[in-house]
Amino acid sequence: MAFYEVYAHPALVRYRTSVCTKATLFLVVVLCLTYIAPLLVAYRSQGFWIKRKTYEEQPVVRFQYQTLLVAATSLRGDYVAWSTFPHLNNMLGANLRIPAVSVREEDRNQDGKLDLLTFQLQLPLQPDEQVYSVQLLLTFSYQLFRMSTVVMQSLAFVQHSSPVPGARLFISGDLRLQQRTPLPHRGLYDIYNVSVIDGSSPFASAYDLNNIMRSYQERNLTTVLSCPTPVWTVGRAAGSPFELNAEIRYPLEVISYRPGFWETIKFAWIQYVGVLLIFLWVFERIQRFVFQNQVIRTVPIPVGKPHLS
Amino acid sequence: MAVPVCAACSNMSILCLFISIISVNCAGNATSDTINIFAPVELNSTYNFTDIFTSTEPTTSPTWSSYRPTEQPAVAAEPLPVSGALSSAVTEAARWCPCDEVAAVCDVNCCCDGACSEEVALFTSCSVSAVRSGSQQLCSQDVAHYTLRTTIDGYSELQSSVQMETNYDIFCIQSQNRFDGLSHPSPPLPTDSNFDSLFSQFVSFMFGPEDRDGVQPADVQALSGYQFGDVLATAEPSGYKGMFYLPAAGVTADCVNKSPAAFLEDRSSRCSQRVVLDADCSSLQALRMDTYTNIQLFAGKNPDAAVVPVDVASVTLQSTEGAQAELAVSGGASVLPELITPTLCANVVLKVVYVIKHNSAGEIENASVSVVLGFISEAGTPLQQEFQVMYIQDGGERGIHHSGNPGYVVGMPLMSGDRATDGITRSIVLKDTLSLLGSTEDQDCLWGRHRRSPVLFGLDYITGCTLRLEDITNCSLVSQLLLDVLRGPHYPHYVASFGNSLLENVLDWVPVKTNINPTEAQSCNIPLSLHLEVEWTKYGSLVNPQAQIVNIREVTETNRSSLERLSGGSSILPIRSSVAFIPVSATALPGYRATPSIDAKLPFDFFFPFV
Repeated sequence: MAFYEVYAHPALVRYRTSVCTKATLFLVVVLCLTYIAPLLVAYRSQGFWIKRKTYEEQPVVRFQYQTLLVAATSLRGDYVAWSTFPHLNNMLGANLRIPAVSVREEDRNQDGKLDLLTFQLQLPLQPDEQVYSVQLLLTFSYQLFRMSTVVMQSLAFVQHSSPVPGARLFISGDLRLQQRTPLPHRGLYDIYNVSVIDGSSPFASAYDLNNIMRSYQERNLTTVLSCPTPVWTVGRAAGSPFELNAEIRYPLEVISYRPGFWETIKFAWIQYVGVLLIFLWVFERIQRFVFQNQVIRTVPIPVGKPHLS
Repeated sequence: MAVPVCAACSNMSILCLFISIISVNCAGNATSDTINIFAPVELNSTYNFTDIFTSTEPTTSPTWSSYRPTEQPAVAAEPLPVSGALSSAVTEAARWCPCDEVAAVCDVNCCCDGACSEEVALFTSCSVSAVRSGSQQLCSQDVAHYTLRTTIDGYSELQSSVQMETNYDIFCIQSQNRFDGLSHPSPPLPTDSNFDSLFSQFVSFMFGPEDRDGVQPADVQALSGYQFGDVLATAEPSGYKGMFYLPAAGVTADCVNKSPAAFLEDRSSRCSQRVVLDADCSSLQALRMDTYTNIQLFAGKNPDAAVVPVDVASVTLQSTEGAQAELAVSGGASVLPELITPTLCANVVLKVVYVIKHNSAGEIENASVSVVLGFISEAGTPLQQEFQVMYIQDGGERGIHHSGNPGYVVGMPLMSGDRATDGITRSIVLKDTLSLLGSTEDQDCLWGRHRRSPVLFGLDYITGCTLRLEDITNCSLVSQLLLDVLRGPHYPHYVASFGNSLLENVLDWVPVKTNINPTEAQSCNIPLSLHLEVEWTKYGSLVNPQAQIVNIREVTETNRSSLERLSGGSSILPIRSSVAFIPVSATALPGYRATPSIDAKLPFDFFFPFV
C-alpha cells in the first residue's frame, strides 16, 4: 500500500544568538554583501547612471522669409545679390538684382506640422551675364516641444559653383538638426532665439557671410541643409532667367537629451534590483547552510506546537 | 452646436446618404450650426435631396444674395465674404467631381463631368475612377464608380454607378455623430472687427512690407553725443544729414562703399574695388581722394550740433614699386586721379586712415584723415583698398599697443627691441617687430619685393623662397645678403618676456640667441633655413596662467655639402623661414611633503544624480 503526499507546509526554525557573537558578525557581513555588492556589480558593469537618451520628434519649422542670394555672374568675379534686408539692398547699389521668388510650405500628412518648403527663385540676367556660382541663405524658425521646449532661429545655406554657366540649380534636401551637447530634459531652451542675421544693422560687416557663419557655427544647436546631390543644369537660353528650385524637407529628428533625476533613478533601480535578486538567492542558500549545519553556533528554536492542550 | 442624428447603416442594400449642411448665423456671432442627416435611400432609386436649413435666427438678408460691389454697404462687423457665409463642402459622392476644372465645358477624360455627355465616346480612360463621400474608416459609405466600356464600333461608353461600399475592418466607424472628427473645423468667418486678430493668429512669417522707417531707434534726446555703435552723421552740401561711410567688404570681397562707420568701433577693412581704367579713372568716386577727405562730421546727434570738418593730416604718394613719399598738399586741395597713359591711372586712393578724437560726452572734437595715393595699371584691377578708423578720447594719445597684460595673448605680435644705453628701444610701428619673410609671387629670395609678416605669439609658421644657383657668383656676399633677407631690415636682438614688459627693465627682455658665428668665413655657407624657436612657459596661477617667453633662439642651417647636390640638379634651392613656439611649462613641483592619504575615493559620478 503506497503512501502519497497528502499535504505539506514549511516549518519555520528560528536561530537565536546574543549580540557579540560570531553569528552576529556573520549576519552583518552577509547583509552587507547582499545589498552593497549588487550596487558595485551594477555600477562596475557600466551604464548604471544613464546620462544621455534620445527621443524622436518632428520639429515645428517655419520659413522666416529671410533670404540672401549672391550669384557670381562672370569669371572675373562680378556678382549680383539680393536679400530681404533693406539695409543690405541699399548698400549693394548697382549689384542689386531683384529676383522673382515664390515660396510654399506644405503639410503633407496633415498633422499640423509643415513638412516641405518649396522655394523657387528666378534671377533675371543681362545679356552678358552668366551664373557660375550661387550662394543662398534662408532662415528658419525651429521649435521642439516634447522634452524641453526649444525655440531657436536657424539657417540653411546652399553654395554651389560650377565652371560651366548654369541655367538651373535644383536642390532637394533635408533640414537636419545638429547638436553638440544633449538638451536638458525639461524647461525652456531659447538662448538661440535670436536673429541669425541682424537685419536692422546698417553695417556691411553684419551681412558678411564669414561673420554670419562663424557666429552660427559656434552654437550648440544648429541646422544644416543636407543636400548630397544638387543638380546643376547647363544650357541657359539667352534672355531667360536663372532658376533656382529648392525643396527642403523638415524630417523627423532624433534628439538626444540628458534624462532627469527620476528617469535616471528608475533605470538604476531596475539594474540594481536585477542583480540584487541573484545575490539574495545565493546568500539565502549560504545562510541556510551555515545555520542548519550549525557552522556558527546558534540556538535553534524548533517549530513549537501551536496547540499545547 | 452639433446635433447628432445617426443611424447604424449596416445593411448592404441600404444606401446611407450623409448630408451635412452648414448654415451660419450671419448676425455677428459667427458660429456655425452643423447638422448631419442620414437619409436611407434604396439603391437604383433617384436621389431625394432635402436641403434643410435650421436656424434659430433669420439667415442671410436678401441684399447679400448676389454680388454687387458698388452697392455693398460698408457696415462694420459684417462678414467679409459677400455671400455672408462660407460655402459648405460637397460631401455627396455622386455630385462631387474633383477633375471638373472647366465650368460648363467638358474636361478630357473626366468621366464624372456632367458636360461630357457627347465627348465621352472619345475618352480613353477615366482620370478619376472612384469618388468617395467620406473617410475610408467609415463602415459603409457611398462610392461613385466611373468606368469606360468600349462599344462594338470602337467608341467608349460611360458606366457609372453609385454603390455603398462596406469596410470589413473590425474597427470601422459605424456612425459619426461628431462632425469635427473627420473633417476640418469650420473656420471663423472673418469680419471687419476680427480680421486683424485672425491675421495675427494665422500669419507668422511672410514676405511683407519692411519696416523701412525703423532704421534709427528712438533717439535719446538727453544725450548730445554719440554712443558706442552709433552711426556718425555728416552734413551734406544739399543740407540734409548723411552718414559717415567707411567702405568694407560685405557679402563678397568687393567694397561696399555705403557701409557706415560705427562710433568707438575701431575698424580696419580691406576690400577690392572694381575699376575699368579708362572709364573710371577720373570719374569713380571711390578712387577720388576728396570722397574721403571732403567730409563734414556732426559733432553730436542733436540737430544743432557743431560741424567738424575732417582735416587732411597727410597725403602719401606710393610709387608702383612701393616706395612712399609724402606730398605737400596746401589747404584743402585734393589730388585727383588722372589717366597718365591708357593703362596707368595715377593718384588713386589706396589707403585711408581716419583718426577721430572725441570727448567724454561722446562729441566729436577733431577728425583727421591720412591718405595713401598710388598708381593702378590694368594688371592691378580689381584694386585693393584699405580703410581704417580709430577713435581716441580727448587728451589721450595713440596708445602704445601691448601684446598682453602681463602674459602674451595668442595671436598678438612679439614685442621686440634693441639694446640702448639706458634700456631697450622699441619702434611703435607694428611693422618693425620681429618678423619673418612672407611668401611673394615671384618666390625669389634675392630679387624682387619682399613681404614681411610679423611673428605672432603662439602661431607656428612656415614659409620660404627660392634661390637660383646661377645667382651665386660671390658666395660670401650672397650668404650675407640672404641672411639679411631672411632676418629682415630691422632685425631686433631682444624680445620682451611679457606682453607688457617695460622698456626700462632690461632684465625683462630676452636676448635672441643665434648660432651664427660672424667670424666664421672659411668656406662658403649659404643659409638654407632660418628657424626661430620660442620657448615659453605658463606663469602664475593655474586659473589664469600668463604666457612668458623664457628663451628665443635663432637656428640657421647652412649647407654642408655642395649646393648642386642639395638642389637635386634643378638649380633651384628652396630656402625656408619658420617659427615654432614650444611650451616648456614645468610640471607641478612638489612644494612640501604632504602626509600620504588613502586614495579610496568613489568614482566621481557614483552618486551622479544626487549631487
